[in-house]
Amino acid sequence: MRVKVFFYSYFKELTGFSSTEETLASGSKISDLMPLLYAKFPKLTAMANSTLIAVGVEYQGRSYVLHEGDEVSLFPPVQGG
Amino acid sequence: MKRELTITREGIDESALAHGRAQLSKSGAVIVFLGVVRDEEDSNVISAIEYETFEAMARHQFEKIFDQIEQRWPIQSIRLRHRIGRVEAGAASLWVEVIAPHRGEAFAACQFAIDEMKRVVPIWKKPISEKRNE
Repeated sequence: MRVKVFFYSYFKELTGFSSTEETLASGSKISDLMPLLYAKFPKLTAMANSTLIAVGVEYQGRSYVLHEGDEVSLFPPVQGG
Repeated sequence: MKRELTITREGIDESALAHGRAQLSKSGAVIVFLGVVRDEEDSNVISAIEYETFEAMARHQFEKIFDQIEQRWPIQSIRLRHRIGRVEAGAASLWVEVIAPHRGEAFAACQFAIDEMKRVVPIWKKPISEKRNE
C-alpha cells in the first residue's frame, strides 16, 4: 500500500521536501514507516523524540495501523500564539 | 455556545471585532486576550514572525478545544482569530474573546483555550531578524 507523508515547519528544510510517498506492506504501522523515512531523510533522526505525527487531522502514536491512501504528517512541537 | 474561528493572513482589527461582539443579556464577563509578537526571540532581536499552519488540522484541533470548553464551563461565546504569514513585531498575532455569565469561568476558559492551542494546534513560527530600515 502507498501512503503520502507531509512535512511541516523546519522539517521541510531538514528533508528538502514538503511531501513524499512510501510503499509499505499491508497492515504496517507508523513504527514501520518511520525507519524508512529516517533512512531517506537522516536529518529527521535527530528530531525523533520530539516529532509529532498525525494521520489526516488527528494525532496518532507509533502503533497506529496505516491504510492505503493515508496522509501522514510529521512536524516539530507546535508554537501557536 | 457561539463559536467563531478565523485563521487569516489579514491583520487583527480590534475595534471591528469589538463591534461584532455578541450582545448576550446574561453575560457578566467578557474576556479579551491579545497575543502580540515581541521584538526578541531566544535573546535575539527580531523584526517579525512568519507563522505557518496545517490549516485543516488546525481547524479540527481548535474545534476540539471549543468542544472541551463547552463541556467544562457555561461559556456563551468564544471567538478566536489567529494570524498566519508575516506578523511584524508589536502587532497582534492572536485575539481571543470569551463571554460568560461570570469572570471565573471566562478567565479559565480563555486560559485553557490558549494553553491547549499551544499544545495541540499545528501552527509554527519562524523568527525573521532582518534589520529594519531606520
